[in-house]
Amino acid sequence: MSNAIDQTRRMLSLVTYLRERPGAEVAEVARAFGITERELIGDLNVLPMCGTSFRGGDLLDIDTDGDRIWWHNVDDVAQPLRLAADEATALLVAARAVAGLPGLRRRDREALTRAVTKIEDAAGDSAESSARVGVTFEAEGQVFADIDRALTEGRRLWLRYWSHGRGGMTEREVDPIRLVTEGHTYLEAWCRTSEDRRIFRLDRVAEIKVLDEPADPPRIEPRDLSAGLVNPAADDPEVIVEVGPGGRWVAEYYTHDKAEELPDGGLRITLRSADPSGLRPLALRLGRDGRIVSPPALAEQAREAALAALAGYPEGQA
Amino acid sequence: MAIAKAERLMNLALCLMNTRRPLSKKELRESVEAYREAWQQGSEDAFNRMFERDKDDLRELGLVIDVDENALDGEVGYLARRDRNRLPEIVLDAEEAAALTLVARVWQQAKMSGAASGALQKLRAAGVPFAEDAEHTALQPRIPAREAAFEPLLVAARDRRPVTFDYRKAGASAAEQRSVEPWALECWRGHWYLAGYDRDRQSARVFRLSRITGKVRSRAGGFTGDVPEHVDVRAHVARFAGEGAVTEGATATVRLRRGAAFPLRGRALATTRVDEHWDELEIPYGYGLGADLAEFGPDVVVLGPDDLRADVIDRLRAVAGVGE
Repeated sequence: MSNAIDQTRRMLSLVTYLRERPGAEVAEVARAFGITERELIGDLNVLPMCGTSFRGGDLLDIDTDGDRIWWHNVDDVAQPLRLAADEATALLVAARAVAGLPGLRRRDREALTRAVTKIEDAAGDSAESSARVGVTFEAEGQVFADIDRALTEGRRLWLRYWSHGRGGMTEREVDPIRLVTEGHTYLEAWCRTSEDRRIFRLDRVAEIKVLDEPADPPRIEPRDLSAGLVNPAADDPEVIVEVGPGGRWVAEYYTHDKAEELPDGGLRITLRSADPSGLRPLALRLGRDGRIVSPPALAEQAREAALAALAGYPEGQA
Repeated sequence: MAIAKAERLMNLALCLMNTRRPLSKKELRESVEAYREAWQQGSEDAFNRMFERDKDDLRELGLVIDVDENALDGEVGYLARRDRNRLPEIVLDAEEAAALTLVARVWQQAKMSGAASGALQKLRAAGVPFAEDAEHTALQPRIPAREAAFEPLLVAARDRRPVTFDYRKAGASAAEQRSVEPWALECWRGHWYLAGYDRDRQSARVFRLSRITGKVRSRAGGFTGDVPEHVDVRAHVARFAGEGAVTEGATATVRLRRGAAFPLRGRALATTRVDEHWDELEIPYGYGLGADLAEFGPDVVVLGPDDLRADVIDRLRAVAGVGE
């Protein structure tokens, strides 16, 4: 159910739209407005209660048989309305960000750039505050372009990929599903080596080849990304990290189940990870700012790695 | 049953757009059923509050509502002049329209995503040929804004309104109240930052939205400081994120096991092969480099400068639990 503001906004555009289209089809209008038919019927139930005077009977005479929509007393109230500041900002900021995405096809970039200029012109004053919001998308242009080509041509990819958790290079063949950009750009793909869905960060791709072989990813539901890209499963092992004030950033960077305040200004963070040993780099990075409470095996791995590293420093050993 | 808000807003909008002369509050009360009800069943006050809120809501939707002295009964009147509310002619080709359809789906935040689809609806009503079934694309840029401070700061920066909020600096054990004139918001690597003028510190500051605790409160009055023409939030944030050197030209020398620590290699200014096991890299010495290096454990040895080497040793000793 949309809120009253969004519904009002939509109904104002709807009357302009319907004015030009006598007998418009419900299904088609709903699609055009990106809403369900039910929502549209909801709007069509409200509109006949609207007009310039409820007592003068001067109301919009709009009705529908559930299939088509008729407006019997069309008047010129319905003119295309200027864009609000937030509307111009939402479109312009997103368009500028996407246009700046490295690796985007030239045609798409040029179309976006032209659209931005036209929207700026049409929005006038409303476009002014859009300069106060900026979004940067990052991607490795050549890797992005190769994946984009593989997606369009439906081909398999070969990757030499840096596995952050394991701290090493891996080689694998993957069938690309989609490119997702959220700050960094990520490839979601079906990994033929592990026969599982995997997310790859483009800046960790050391080498990429578009193979001649066709991609053949299994038909799977796209993952819901609303909670973020990293979405641990409910039965993944639990990891508990205790950090001091200097390690609070962990809660900002890692999807977690809970973060409890500690008396010293620190946090006790509970998260889940399919492979806790992949958090070894985090354990090493934290230094004095935090420690792994559980699982003990992860704490031990980090301790061993730190001892091994200290062997490289004659002055650093106990 | 009370009349739904959307119906009330729609009626007010239609009244204001359809008049050639300003309408007084009293006239509007007679024309919009919901106002009449509020006035009859509630009070003059209830009606006034409702009317003021509705007017603000319509203005948020882009309606320009003029206030004029010349209502019929000699009172203040309101109208939304057609020429001031019309969308100027805009012609987009199919490619431009398709590009905008993709762009309108980018926002993952309720207010901005509502505004983006609202903009497309207005453009569509004005005749822009958007394809009806927006094709599913394999390219999905997303702008999240999960931080609660995002929406109030967006509005404050738009309207140039000063704000106060509690802020916990990186590494600080407690939050402190800050009084800020918000200039610009910037999203970098998926995190939101605010640049503005800090009234107490009397200088420009950058804040990370996820470190704002509690509510953002709007303050009366306008900005007292000048707003710079160009605010480069990103350059500032990137510097503190360790991109580039702390001071111009500062570098560090490290040994990397061959085939290891790939992310560090992208930062290298120079790489030389030492033997079959090790490479030597020169990298910019930026903020947080010690932590970045410690992460790779035994695959990295810091050669210099000395303070960086000591920092990494200290971190490793803490994790190894030696020499406490």
